[in-house]
Amino acid sequence: MLKPTKMTRVVIAGTKEHIENTISTLHKLNLLHVTDYNEETEDFKMGRPLKPASELSDHLLSLRGIANQLGVMGKESATKLSSKQLPSQIDEKITFLQKEVSSRFDELRNIEFRIKEKEDLISAVKPLMALPLSIDAYHGYESVIMYSGFIAEDLELKLSKITTNYELFSGDYEKRKVFALFIPKIFEEETQKLLQEERTYVELKIPELKGNPPVILEALEKEVQELKEKQASIKSELDNLKKEYSEFIIAADEHLSIETQKAEAPLRFATSPNAFIIDGWVPSRRFDELDSILQESTQGQVYLTRIEENVNEEDIPIELENPSVAKPFELLIDTFATPKYKEIDPATVIFITFPLFYAIMLGDVGYGLIVAAMAMIIKNKFKTGGLNALALILFFSAILSIIFGIIYGEFFGFPIFNVVVKGELEHGILGMAGPAVAGFHLPVHRFEAVQSLLLMTLVIGILHIFLGLAIGFRNIVIEHDLKHAIFAKGSWIMILAGGVAAIAKLMPAMMSGLPVPSKDPVFMMGAVLAIIGIILLVKGEGAISIMEIPTLLSNVLSYTRILAIGLSSAGIALAVNTLSMNLFIRPGGVLLGGGIGLALIGVVVLFIGHLINLLLGILGPGLHSLRLQYVEFFTKFYEGGGKKYAPFGYNRKYTEE
Amino acid sequence: MDPTQAGMVAVGAGIAVGLAGIGAGMGEQAIGAAAVGAMAEDEKFFGKGLLMTVIPESIAIFGLVVALILLFVF
Repeated sequence: MLKPTKMTRVVIAGTKEHIENTISTLHKLNLLHVTDYNEETEDFKMGRPLKPASELSDHLLSLRGIANQLGVMGKESATKLSSKQLPSQIDEKITFLQKEVSSRFDELRNIEFRIKEKEDLISAVKPLMALPLSIDAYHGYESVIMYSGFIAEDLELKLSKITTNYELFSGDYEKRKVFALFIPKIFEEETQKLLQEERTYVELKIPELKGNPPVILEALEKEVQELKEKQASIKSELDNLKKEYSEFIIAADEHLSIETQKAEAPLRFATSPNAFIIDGWVPSRRFDELDSILQESTQGQVYLTRIEENVNEEDIPIELENPSVAKPFELLIDTFATPKYKEIDPATVIFITFPLFYAIMLGDVGYGLIVAAMAMIIKNKFKTGGLNALALILFFSAILSIIFGIIYGEFFGFPIFNVVVKGELEHGILGMAGPAVAGFHLPVHRFEAVQSLLLMTLVIGILHIFLGLAIGFRNIVIEHDLKHAIFAKGSWIMILAGGVAAIAKLMPAMMSGLPVPSKDPVFMMGAVLAIIGIILLVKGEGAISIMEIPTLLSNVLSYTRILAIGLSSAGIALAVNTLSMNLFIRPGGVLLGGGIGLALIGVVVLFIGHLINLLLGILGPGLHSLRLQYVEFFTKFYEGGGKKYAPFGYNRKYTEE
Repeated sequence: MDPTQAGMVAVGAGIAVGLAGIGAGMGEQAIGAAAVGAMAEDEKFFGKGLLMTVIPESIAIFGLVVALILLFVF
């Protein structure tokens, strides 16, 4: 909690004959973060991949090719294949699959090409059905030239100017006029010119076929039909192959990936002709586990030691360590930056503040229930990964929103308890006055309590920024020393504390037109503290840092968004409710006073209005709560820039050992 | 407060929020575009990009605070 996992640097050395055994033990443990070796010396070079590496990657390549052709996708698999049996099958099955799949694929492509060819012919022959000629009749003349195509104009009149010695056939095809013109070759030039000037003329190529168009068409269509049947049967054969082998393909892919990873591992080690050295990191509490298992599997032939001195902190991989409830919030940390080894990991703090800010903004029992239900559905659908974490974050936030909904007395914008708004009594859903909890009368109506809520958000902001500065103070003490921390963060703490005290006294006085309360001890102490802070800041960071002081004010004011977003969400809900209630469901205070039709419109307005407000209610509070963490809070202490802990190993999903 | 004055206060609050919002929007458009560009290169920029993008938003919040003070405190 609050700090990344403690890491220990481990060096493993042994003779080459044990390298394979060591690699597979380490891989199985999935524990050691290997530091890549890249400073070659005379004695130690980067290792070479183990023998099977190239064969394995060949297999992997062809397997992925097959998977791609068949469209096999990874999914949650119920049965796991044994990685002991897989290797004996892989060679044979991949060769078999490659032959079966690629030959069928070639055939499929060939058929598709032929279908395309035939379909082109069909579309060329179809217009010729309109003309009373056999297809042979278009070809094979020596002194006559033939033009065919679509045209909108009448050709005969224009042709008669050239010659009367021609023959013109025409007909209609799909509302366009088709023609075939036979004319002596001596008129070629004039006819060509004539046709070129016709803007509606589109040339029609006559296919090289024999016979009457209807007969040809029928034959072609039959051929296409046959080809399509063949295509379907090959596709279903491929589908069967896919069904039968997809489990194997996925499992083999995983197995081969693992084996390739193992075979290529020596590339990250330092090796001499006879020995190897692995340098890496392991979580300190699991060092003994690594030690004993490695010794056992190599019969004590491999030497393992921990190095405590001369450790470069920047090299230490970071694994965040938090209680399981705060674990999902590590997602928000990782999205921003991975912390450095000695920095505070703020996930546990975010676990409290993020849902709190979210809830103060959303604060509605109805919306809270829906968001909580949605979060549960997403969580059950995605068992791992970012979406799962996001769903859990949303769930916590929604539960708190329900609690704040009770405090505000809001259920989809309707009052839960009887409440007095602007001097008028509004009846709540429960029809009773709110209970008093610890001397505090519920509900706190958001529109009525704007002033006090505004003050509350400012207080929250001041406390949050104080916390951030305090963490920053601690980080600098650890990284440098107390003096630096006082200059860099202590100064800000003084400015904030002093400024808050002084402004708290100054504002009421200025608003009521009184002079500056220079006799007030709180005001004076605050002002002095702030000035000392500014002097320290200038000494530590230079005069330019004075420019940064106003950002403190804007940071604090920024927290008023907590109220603002909440008010807008409650306002939209109220508007939707008023609109649908007064206009449609109960016009003039009478139930269904506008008839059933208007009432239905009212229901639609109610539904769509709340749907939109709900979507805004997830997005707005979520983003703004996150922004308050990232911009106002993190900038006070967080640097980040650590490397994530990525142990050498693999989480098997489709295979088991 | 007479009705004219109340009306002017409401108009003032509206102008404060509206102009502040426009200002914040103008600031954010350039940063947002740049942030999306940076994220297209490297997704790790999401956190920093979001941070940069929302910095001008404080201006909108100032407008909002002024409006709230006008409406509820003044």
